[in-house]
Amino acid sequence: MAEPVLEVGGLVKHYPLTQGVLFRKQVGAVRAVDGVDFTLLKGETLGIVGESGCGKSTLARLLVQLERPTQGTIRYRGEDITGLSGRALKAVRRDIQMVFQDPYTSLNPRMTVGDIVGEPYEIHPEAAPKGDRRRRVRELLEVVGLNPEHVNRYPHQFSGGQRQRIGIARGLALRPGIIVADEPVSALDVSVQAQVINLMERLQDEFDLSYVFIAHDLSVVRHISDRVGVMYLGKIVEIGTETEIYDHPTHPYTQALLSAVPVPDPEAREHRDRIILSGDVPSPTDIPSGCRFRTRCWKARERCALEVPPLAVPEEFRTATGPAAHDSACHFAEERRVVPPEQSAG
Amino acid sequence: MLLEVRDLHVEFRTRDGVAHAVNGVDYSVAAGQTLAVLGESGSGKSVTAQAIMGILDMPPGRITGGEVLFHGRDLLKLKEEERRKIRGAGMAMIFQDALSALNPVLTVGDQLGEMFTVHRGTSRKEARARAIELMDRVRIPAAAQRVRDYPHQFSGGMRQRIMIAMALALEPSLIIADEPTTALDVTVQAQVMDLLAELQREYDMGLVLITHDLGVVADVADRIAVMYAGRIIETAPVHDIYKAPAHPYTRGLLESVPRLDQKGQELYAIKGLPPSLLDIPSGCAFHPRCPMARDVCRTDVPPLYEVPGDRRSACHFWRECLDG
Repeated sequence: MAEPVLEVGGLVKHYPLTQGVLFRKQVGAVRAVDGVDFTLLKGETLGIVGESGCGKSTLARLLVQLERPTQGTIRYRGEDITGLSGRALKAVRRDIQMVFQDPYTSLNPRMTVGDIVGEPYEIHPEAAPKGDRRRRVRELLEVVGLNPEHVNRYPHQFSGGQRQRIGIARGLALRPGIIVADEPVSALDVSVQAQVINLMERLQDEFDLSYVFIAHDLSVVRHISDRVGVMYLGKIVEIGTETEIYDHPTHPYTQALLSAVPVPDPEAREHRDRIILSGDVPSPTDIPSGCRFRTRCWKARERCALEVPPLAVPEEFRTATGPAAHDSACHFAEERRVVPPEQSAG
Repeated sequence: MLLEVRDLHVEFRTRDGVAHAVNGVDYSVAAGQTLAVLGESGSGKSVTAQAIMGILDMPPGRITGGEVLFHGRDLLKLKEEERRKIRGAGMAMIFQDALSALNPVLTVGDQLGEMFTVHRGTSRKEARARAIELMDRVRIPAAAQRVRDYPHQFSGGMRQRIMIAMALALEPSLIIADEPTTALDVTVQAQVMDLLAELQREYDMGLVLITHDLGVVADVADRIAVMYAGRIIETAPVHDIYKAPAHPYTRGLLESVPRLDQKGQELYAIKGLPPSLLDIPSGCAFHPRCPMARDVCRTDVPPLYEVPGDRRSACHFWRECLDG
């Protein structure tokens, strides 16, 4: 088994809500990330899926140290990095890079592509000697499939897909071990999306990268991930290998989420097991007691309001060895296949 | 036929030249039928819809040719005043972004009620009652209280329901929905699409569903029209197109989406980029990206060939494509 590169334990990020001008007092908190645990292994892709407001972007920002956690630890190669500052923090940041969602706002419109991709070398001068940087930038552009001759162009002269490639080149500049990608393909058209996904997979092999791949598109996440974690209201509710989550889900939220995804196959229309959830996601300022999914769950009983279900292999599967025996935070977990087995051979 | 678009052409005057957004689009929708118009950004799918609705910004836009027949009457020949009567009562539109499509300083009740006071001349009291009825219809809980709320007080899914209610208000015979669920989360998307399909059946409306999502199309459409560079390049009943596409662009699109039901190897990716509308390639607009392209594709614009089974394809080599 590969060694763990990132170990996240009890990670919490609360944003305080205050009232009053003269006497500010805290009246509550937005519990954006509310106790997340996972391990990222070397060379693997961990997908994180969830709907808007579930805290997946806050999680990404915590992982790359753009935000300080309220509680919990992030270990990078065994070392706790949550309390680091100054030079030690800078060194860690070199190794954990981020690719952003929006290729339109994440690139400075007044900088040339060469300056954008080369900027990490300004911040970490020890990564490449000055005379060598120009060459490295051209090399990076070539690696991500852009013409190195375009090094003096500005972001607006590129299409959305090309801009995302620029963002990826910038992320690669310091040769990081981990890339956290927050919705990297959701702003792209289908035909271009496939190009960028293929590029990310090729780069992973070439540079031995570990990915945390955050997205709301369940099909994309299945395609790229080795393991998948499903988030709901700031917590991971189910986590396992790609097959365990998609073909053998045991948490009702995962089942509802998967059953709602339209499959590009009209034959599947009639014989699909559709679970339509009622109501909206509760506010992260007012999270239900016990199991946070219980307000929308068709299985909820009294116990769900009283006890927080732990993220562990549920009792009924503890002795089982099959793919249903994976971590799932539900008191009444049971396997239910909602994605129909592949129909056509296409 | 409820709606028939014939050889529609739209262009935009821009600083850099003339952008040919729509270049001869034909499609038709019958009552009770759902036509999905599929395309990537810049394919002309929304501009076509705006031209049908009569809400195209002119200038810079200009309709340079074609007909839009609604119940047999060419809308493009009507005066603005007559078109306004058709909008809302005859055909209505649902937009992608409900928050910017609704007026933020009016309550949703006022906005829904306006449909009745303006088009039907009902009293304000009556209009308010109808607004509540509509909100009930699209299953907004506690409609009688929420009718006084402003758009920002609703969640994204609820706002989209209000847009649907507004479109349905005058019981139009045609609804054009432009990416109605793109901004919504997948569980909410399923709720909204189900509601739309149910109401369509109930009122026997024609529905033009504009989308880029091959999954949504497979779930709800009867027919599908695929657009590329301002033209329809393939049209067929929905089952056939997924089984055997008759155009290499459609085939490429279908193969490039990751699927929920398979892990899959490397994705097929259509090479290159969609063309600039200022400079559409000669011959078949798709030829620079097409794996099947030959000399004739560079010189001759392919017509929409008839393909057996009530289908059409704008590919010189549709037979080869069908055979895989």
